[in-house]
Amino acid sequence: MSTARLVKHSFKAVARYKLRSGFMMLGSLVGVAALTLVVSVGEGAERKIVSTVHQLFGGSSILIFSGGGRFMGGPRAGAARMTLDDMEAVVKELPEIEVWDPQQGLFGEPVRYGDASTTARVLGQSERSERVWNRSVTRGEYFDAAAVAGSARVALIGETVARDLFADEDPIGAEILIGSVRFRVIGLLEPFGTDAHGMDRDNEVVVPISTLMRRVMNVDTIQGAKLLVKDPSLVRETAREIKRILRERHSLGSGQPDDFTVITAVQVQQMVRKVERVLFVFLPLVAAVSLVVGCVVAASLMLASVNERVGEIGLRRAIGARPGDIQLQFVLETAVTTLGGGFVGLLVGCAGAELVARRMALGEILSWKAILLGIAAAAVTGLLAGVVPARRAARLQPAEALR
Amino acid sequence: MKEETFMIELEGIGKTYTRPGGEPVQALRDVSLRIDRGEFVAIVGASGSGKSTLMNVIGLLDRPSGGRYLLDGQDVSGLGVNELARLRNKRIGFVFQAFHLLPRTSALENVELPLLYSDRPSMKGLGRRALEAVGLADRIEHRPGELSGGQQQRVAIARALVNEPDLLLADEPTGNLDERAAAEVMAIFQSLHESGRTIILVTHDASLAAHCERMLRLEAGRITADERLRQAAVAAQERSS
Repeated sequence: MSTARLVKHSFKAVARYKLRSGFMMLGSLVGVAALTLVVSVGEGAERKIVSTVHQLFGGSSILIFSGGGRFMGGPRAGAARMTLDDMEAVVKELPEIEVWDPQQGLFGEPVRYGDASTTARVLGQSERSERVWNRSVTRGEYFDAAAVAGSARVALIGETVARDLFADEDPIGAEILIGSVRFRVIGLLEPFGTDAHGMDRDNEVVVPISTLMRRVMNVDTIQGAKLLVKDPSLVRETAREIKRILRERHSLGSGQPDDFTVITAVQVQQMVRKVERVLFVFLPLVAAVSLVVGCVVAASLMLASVNERVGEIGLRRAIGARPGDIQLQFVLETAVTTLGGGFVGLLVGCAGAELVARRMALGEILSWKAILLGIAAAAVTGLLAGVVPARRAARLQPAEALR
Repeated sequence: MKEETFMIELEGIGKTYTRPGGEPVQALRDVSLRIDRGEFVAIVGASGSGKSTLMNVIGLLDRPSGGRYLLDGQDVSGLGVNELARLRNKRIGFVFQAFHLLPRTSALENVELPLLYSDRPSMKGLGRRALEAVGLADRIEHRPGELSGGQQQRVAIARALVNEPDLLLADEPTGNLDERAAAEVMAIFQSLHESGRTIILVTHDASLAAHCERMLRLEAGRITADERLRQAAVAAQERSS
């Protein structure tokens, strides 16, 4: 008795019962497709998040927002109390801060050029933001310290803004209106794409923060700042110090909550890890459930098949099949079917992942991990689903099976 | 050889079934018999007489509860399931009332099924030759559903022959067939017998037993009659003349 012959035989048996095999394949197809899709998309999304976070947020950065409360979501108590003086005091007292950049901004501000108009996010920043936010210009030049000190009306525009306002025209040197204030475009911002929140970061205008505060918004507070610490190991300590100084300057008593929020890379990484837990535990869990369902479906169909083919099993025993041969035959039949279904599921899952990736701009997405996991899942499904029916078939007594 | 061995030698074979929740049933009681090589034997009896049980014991499909069974002088009671399977594959061909052909499978593939479990190195042409031997050379690719009952049973006989066993066991082989098909099947058994095979035919039909040389009658699990219908040598002579 050769196993190769039996494998070939199993393929024929599977082909003989097309409808039943089809349903069995469907079970593992759906499960494996779900698993492949979820793991691929999950990995792609994670890469996207990590790269975005990394871009915004190197290991040595600290973000400060005005307003207390939790990071992300929830109303912030005591917003609009942080000033440039606060930040300058902090930086003066903490020599471990290498460089920093304050930020103020407007969402959905009308921006016009001639007859063309659009709305964009307008950010006020210092000349140091080029370095702190790691975003430069592709054409023209960044504004300098003098422009910030002198509240110069110069602007850097993102690609989306440039396209909306200028079409094919050269924006460098052109005069635009932000609200009702006239600015001269001096540079084109490096493209960024969509950020983790789904916001188009190319639909932005960056101007000197002093100009924005005095001439456009007429405020003397800032929204926040980003600081880079010289040594990443000092981030925690520095963050603690910043809190202390800000609380002091804002005269907060010991019972009062912070009216600002300090976030370090460590916290962001914790948050990313939380997101990962969802992506890497819950989503595959859902996929695994569908695999289990597929496995149960395959097992019960195979059990039905064994019951239906008792006579065949008796005959095979009579003509010389050992119990082990019978068991192997049914395991193989199940394996061939579920692996076949799993393979198709793999293709479906990969195609689905590709589609999702294109819609979400996740970039290259197919992961070997997902493919190997899909194949392994199909194999495990097949074996688990096959074993019980196969053992039952092998235990049949030939004389009784032939009755 | 120390003494003459028979092909089949049963000594005091008993078989008791215990159905869950029911009384034990004695299907065979103290059955002793010897069958020599080349014999064509009919085992007749009413249903429930134990004839199928006897065939299952002889065919190594079922183990007796007591007694001794020598196949070719070898005591088979100590053999494990895998050894029994190997013996069935090599030595015994089975023909059943219900044919037991695999549906949606060609005649040739059905006939070749025993080769799947055999350790023969080459199996080329064996199935085809077995089908030719039962007169179905032109039905090789037909499926059971496309064949008449008689043809299906001939495919089953070809399957029983493909491994060239020396013992053929047939359990009511004509039970599902009309008269003409039954006669065809019996003619095949007849010619197989002439070519030297040992054949045991289990039936409730005494007229079928008339084709055989020897008839064992089974009643309530006991052999009640063992008649020689014709001398084997004489019968062979008659046929050849």
